[in-house]
Amino acid sequence: MTPENPNAFSLRGVSRSFSHFRLADLSLDLPLGQIMGLVGPNGAGKSTTIRLLMGLLIPESGEIEMLGRRVSSDIADIKRDVAYVSDDMRLYGTATLGWHMKLIASIYAGWDAGYAAQLLHRFNLNAEQPVKGLSRGEHVKSLLLLALARRPRLLILDEPTSGLDPVARHELLTELMEIVRDESRSILFSSHNTLDVERICDQIAFIDRGRLVDTRDKESFLERWRRLQLDLPPGTSLPDLPDAIDVSLGERMASFATAGYGPDMEARLQAAGVRIHDVQRMSLEEIFVASVLHSRRGVAP
Amino acid sequence: MSPSVFWTLVRKDLYLMRGFIILTVAVGLGSLVLVAFGGVAFAVGGILFLTVNVGSGIFIAMFTYIAERKENTRLFALSLPISGQQLDLAKLVAAFITYLIPWLTLTLAALLLFLLPPAVTKGMIVYVLMLQCFVIALFSTVLATMAVVRSEPAVGVVIIASNIAFSLFMVTLNLPRVSAPLHGPYIVWTEISVWMLAGDAAVFLVGLVFSLSMITRNRDHL
Repeated sequence: MTPENPNAFSLRGVSRSFSHFRLADLSLDLPLGQIMGLVGPNGAGKSTTIRLLMGLLIPESGEIEMLGRRVSSDIADIKRDVAYVSDDMRLYGTATLGWHMKLIASIYAGWDAGYAAQLLHRFNLNAEQPVKGLSRGEHVKSLLLLALARRPRLLILDEPTSGLDPVARHELLTELMEIVRDESRSILFSSHNTLDVERICDQIAFIDRGRLVDTRDKESFLERWRRLQLDLPPGTSLPDLPDAIDVSLGERMASFATAGYGPDMEARLQAAGVRIHDVQRMSLEEIFVASVLHSRRGVAP
Repeated sequence: MSPSVFWTLVRKDLYLMRGFIILTVAVGLGSLVLVAFGGVAFAVGGILFLTVNVGSGIFIAMFTYIAERKENTRLFALSLPISGQQLDLAKLVAAFITYLIPWLTLTLAALLLFLLPPAVTKGMIVYVLMLQCFVIALFSTVLATMAVVRSEPAVGVVIIASNIAFSLFMVTLNLPRVSAPLHGPYIVWTEISVWMLAGDAAVFLVGLVFSLSMITRNRDHL
C-alpha cells in the first residue's frame, strides 16, 4: 500500500462498452477498513464494475488500482490478498467441499484452517459432501467459507446474500462486520438488498444504467435525504422545486423526497403558503429509489 | 506467473478428469484385446478403439472450454491468484496432458500388439502410427476451435466437422494403394505414409499455435 493511495481500491474514469450496455466514466474509491455497498437495479453495472476490478474484463479507458497496485499489470499477485465471491460463481460439482478447502489452502499461505472449521460448523456444512448435492444456499455458504478463511485484505462480494436464508444472512453480515474490525481489511458488497447494505456498510455507491448516481458515507446519505409531508391550504399550489423527487400531489396534501432540505426550501414553501406538516427520515431503499429517479431525470442529486 | 498456482490448477483439472482418463484407458485397452482375437472381434475392437481415441479428444476439448463457462466454475478459477491468460494456459496444458495419458498408453499398447510375437503383420505399426497421429492432430484442431466458439450450435458444427474429417481420413487410409503395404509382415514406410505423418504434425502444430495465440489475444477472460 502506498501512502499516497490509502484505498482498498480506486477506479478512475473507467469505461467499458458492450453491445447493449455501457459502463461510463466510473470513478469510485473505497478507503481501507471500510465496507462499501454497491447498490443498483438489475443490469445497472454492479457485476461489470466488480469484474473490471477483478481484472476479468479490460476497461476501454480509465485506471483501476487495488491495494495500491495497478490491476492491469499485477492482477495475479493482487488476487493473493483479495477474495471474490459472486452469486453466479460455482464450485466443481464432482468434488467435495473438503477438496476445495485443500485446493485453496494449497494456494493461499494465509489460509486459516481453524477459522475454516469454525465456519464449517457455523454454516452447518459437511466437508465430505460432493458439491453437486448442495442446495443453492449451501453452495453460497461454501463459497463464502472458502473466501473468508483466506483472511483476505479485500473481500469482494457480488450479491452474496441472494441465496441465503435469513439466519445464514444474519450470520454472514455479522461475520463481515467482524472482519472489518481489523482496520486493514475492506469489503465491497454488491446487493439489491438495501436492508443488508444499510446494516453493515460505511460507504454506499448507487449505480444505475452504467453510471454512478451518487456515492458517500452512509450517515451522509441518511442525513441528507428527507421526505416532506405538506399541507396545501385552498388556493395554494406546490412551488417549482428542482430538488423535489417522487412528488405525490393530492387536493389538500402533497409529499416529496428531497436531498436539498434546508432553510432555503422551507422559505420557498412558506412563501408559497404551503405548510410543512412533517419531515421524515428516509430508509436507504427510499433514498436509493429517489436517487435513481433523480438521476434518470438528468439532475445530479 | 506463479508456477505453483499454475501447476496447482493443472493438477486440479487432472484430478477432476481422473475418472474419465481411467475409463478411456480401460475401454481402449479392452478394445485392443478384442482386436487381438481377429475376425469380427477385430472389427468391433477397431471401431471401439477409434471411437475412444476420437471421442475422448472431443470430450476433453468441450470440458476444457465449454463446460467451465456453462457451469460458471470458470469464475471460481478466475478468483484465484492467476491472470486470465495464465488460467487459459493452465487449461491448455491440462487438456493436452489429459489427452496424452490415454493416447500414449493406447498408442504404445497398439504398437506392442503388432510388434510382439505372435504378431505377423508388423506393417500395421505404420498404420497405427498414421491413425494415432491423425487423431492427436484432430484433437489439437478441435481444442483450438473450441477456444473460439461460444455457442452450442457452433460446438455441434465442430463435432460434425471433426467426424467428417475423421471419416475422410479413414477412407483415404483404407485406399488399397495406401493400406496394402501396411498389411504385410514388415514395417514399410511408403512415401504417402510419410507425407501423411508430416501433414499430421503440421496440423497439430497449427492447432497448438492457434490455441496459444488465442490465449495471448483474449482481452476478457470470462
